[in-house]
Amino acid sequence: MIETATAESVIHHGLDLGADFAEVYVEKNLSNLVSTLSDRVQSVESGIDFGIGLRLIFGHKVLYGYTNQTDLDELHRIVTELAAKDLRDPLASAAAFDFSQVDQRHPAKRTLSAADDVDSKIDYLLSANRAAKAASNQISQTRGMCKQREQRVMIFNSEGLFREDTRHYARATLTAIAAEGNEQATGQWGDGGLIGWEIKEQLDPQKTGHEAARQALVNLRAKPCPSGRMPVVIGPGFGGVIFHEACGHLLETTSVAKKASVFHDKMGDMIASEVVSAVDDGTLQNEWGSINIDDEGMDTQRTQLIKDGRLTSFLVDRVGSAQTGYARTGSGRRESYKYAPASRMRNTFIEPGEADFEDMIKSIDHGLYAAQMGGGSVQPGTGEFNFAVTEGYVIEKGQIKYPVKAATLISTGPAVLKEISMVGRDFSLACGMCGSVSGSIPTTVGQATLKVDDILVGGQE
Amino acid sequence: MSLHSVIEAILNRVIDAGAEGDLIVDQGQSLSLKARDGELEEHKVTSNRILGLRVIQNAKVGTAYSEAVDPEAIETLVSQALTNASYAGEEPSERILPNANHLTTDDTLLCPDDESSIEDKIDFALWVEAALKAKPMVKNVPYNGVQSGFGHRSIYSTAGLKADIRYRSMSAYAYALIEDGETNAMEGAGQAARRFSALDREALVSKVYQAGVDILQGKPIPSGRYDVIFDTETQSDLLAVFAMMFSAKSAKDGVNPMRDRLGDAIADPRLSLFDDPGDSQGFGYALFDDEGSLAQQTPLITAGTLQTLIHNSATAAHFGVTTTGHATRGPRSTLGVGLHQLKAQPGPSTEATCTAGRWLEVTDLTGLHSGANPISGEFSFGASGYLREGAQRIQPVRNITVAGNFYSMIKDVRDIGDSLHWNWQRSSCLPMIRFADLSVSG
Repeated sequence: MIETATAESVIHHGLDLGADFAEVYVEKNLSNLVSTLSDRVQSVESGIDFGIGLRLIFGHKVLYGYTNQTDLDELHRIVTELAAKDLRDPLASAAAFDFSQVDQRHPAKRTLSAADDVDSKIDYLLSANRAAKAASNQISQTRGMCKQREQRVMIFNSEGLFREDTRHYARATLTAIAAEGNEQATGQWGDGGLIGWEIKEQLDPQKTGHEAARQALVNLRAKPCPSGRMPVVIGPGFGGVIFHEACGHLLETTSVAKKASVFHDKMGDMIASEVVSAVDDGTLQNEWGSINIDDEGMDTQRTQLIKDGRLTSFLVDRVGSAQTGYARTGSGRRESYKYAPASRMRNTFIEPGEADFEDMIKSIDHGLYAAQMGGGSVQPGTGEFNFAVTEGYVIEKGQIKYPVKAATLISTGPAVLKEISMVGRDFSLACGMCGSVSGSIPTTVGQATLKVDDILVGGQE
Repeated sequence: MSLHSVIEAILNRVIDAGAEGDLIVDQGQSLSLKARDGELEEHKVTSNRILGLRVIQNAKVGTAYSEAVDPEAIETLVSQALTNASYAGEEPSERILPNANHLTTDDTLLCPDDESSIEDKIDFALWVEAALKAKPMVKNVPYNGVQSGFGHRSIYSTAGLKADIRYRSMSAYAYALIEDGETNAMEGAGQAARRFSALDREALVSKVYQAGVDILQGKPIPSGRYDVIFDTETQSDLLAVFAMMFSAKSAKDGVNPMRDRLGDAIADPRLSLFDDPGDSQGFGYALFDDEGSLAQQTPLITAGTLQTLIHNSATAAHFGVTTTGHATRGPRSTLGVGLHQLKAQPGPSTEATCTAGRWLEVTDLTGLHSGANPISGEFSFGASGYLREGAQRIQPVRNITVAGNFYSMIKDVRDIGDSLHWNWQRSSCLPMIRFADLSVSG
């Protein structure tokens, strides 16, 4: 994408102006999006993103710029402009590039640069639509989406690092809308991975359509959700968003280094119930949040965040490491060349436990079973988080009773981690997009079904 | 190859293929500064350019975009758009408008010269962080920044349209973490303007600090039904979440619950909402939309009755009406619709009347992206604010949820104030609205 001599010149220029560290991040991104509306193809969109991100570090200060242009004069101009207020005599010297092959942990076959597979994607989405519509004549509409992306990156830095990687992402979702009179409700199902379009072999359009329709139909007959503090059983897979919001973001050095995380001084402390062990793992083959190397060029790894309730690691990028003293964990990630990297999650999950689902339900006199979760958000400084229940049921006297709609769960990270009393065996992962300071990136959440003894449920009754 | 030549080559290639099309070219530069512990923590300088092509061939629409402008990328851009169109379902209502106008906006208004230096902006960023950190109980200011941006959008079509919009924006924001013993709170605020000199650092610091101190000792209130007034910012955010109710595109797609409700009473008879692109005080000020159609004041709800949905040329043709000048399209996106800037007629009551008795003032909503379903209208958000008795704040409130159904809520209005307030991003200008009996969990 660019010549190594160009990268070398830019890095030398940055160091000549006094930077301690200089980095060149080059990205070319191919994308393809197929959208359907019920039984018709609504649109096929494609594009090429290309740009170069330039990072200089002076002490703890990060200077960042980007451009779409590859000519050396423009790259030098940006470096000069970035460093204009920090000029000093050179302190560091650049090491010669030492190209290091990336260990390809996540093989992909049907890649976007080879073929866009539009016919196959349309076939999948229309099949899923038919399955959803066949579930009930109350399914009035479906919206399908297949997105494929191929991201090629080159990373050079003044320490001699030179790495290249290509990431292949594929994801498909179907949203079903159920209608009766003026009432409408939605359900959604999908999956994705760091993989080519061969993911289609894992995606059963019948299951996708049925599951999206089932959720929509359940929500159509759902009653208002009760409000107040109560025990909640949270289902597997995307239920893991509770850990992502309640704890994961608070363990990123992006917040920890600024002391903007409630956990910044808790390393080694019991921050969760002893049934909670949690991991952030970039190595899981072909999972949506996996990577080969992070966006600073470091090999990915499995990071044990919490072991039996005790905080064992933060998520650490280069700048976070310099600021906190903790070793890097290969967690420097960014949406694109438009963002400087920051410490971010990969595949983040609570490890499975030994509890039975039935025992969790039986242990509750009045509570909520949150079978499916939506997204959420957190304020790292206070740990206050929220996340949405998209399929929920009231539990009464140890039994699941009737479906309820539109509920939000809120608490704080430190509080909810200590309220997790039971973790089941039915572990699974689910993919999502996570937004933060370095943009929107693919992340996976996961867990087995677990029980939170006390959390605020915000419903309409 | 100059950009002008690239644009010409792309449109000629589309015409040669027997298609019609339009091309959006977005270019811009920006500066972003963040401060930490008295020094700049981040200094970001960007320049970007992107081309987005839409083609229509045999009544089928395809789009493609590219940030690269080398000959290979340009050829790929056109061929991909044409190939994409071949897969799409027929869309006979979507056409390139027969519009050969040359349109521009007033640079003195939207893109005024900015005399401020980078030193001025660095000084602003450092001053805001230092001033907040110097306040009692402020532990740190983890999120803060000053940003300036210049953007230039050009729209060209095979019909001869050439439209240019240049704009400049300045903004500043800060979030302070405030602690008192074991209790903490993080509050923030922002400002936006077209000139740097219009940003007010003292006001920003004062607002952030006061909000943090005021909410610090907040506690839940008992669950129940409360009258709720959302403050200017949260009310604007809430309406934006449910703005799909005005979208003719969503109606065409069968997901807008208001699609068959034109002429129906859908809101309190004292509520009148309209889109007002001609008000230059707002950041949504526009003379034309992304198809080059005239942007015009559009009544949405008048005295509680749904007047119109917002249209681009394609939705208008589908429904047999004329476009309302609300087409949206970016280089990466297909043709859609969007509001320019939402306004309301002032209500009949003074704000003192609106705020009589006991009510809940909501100053922050969390989970807006996940806790709402615009199709059903159901919502449930985390919230904070103040329990109030008349004008008096009697208790700061945190860790509660507010839930309801938006489409029911706008029918169940207790009162509407007679003053209008812009939100800080200047995207809407609305009165105080007191909603009756929302469900609050504490």
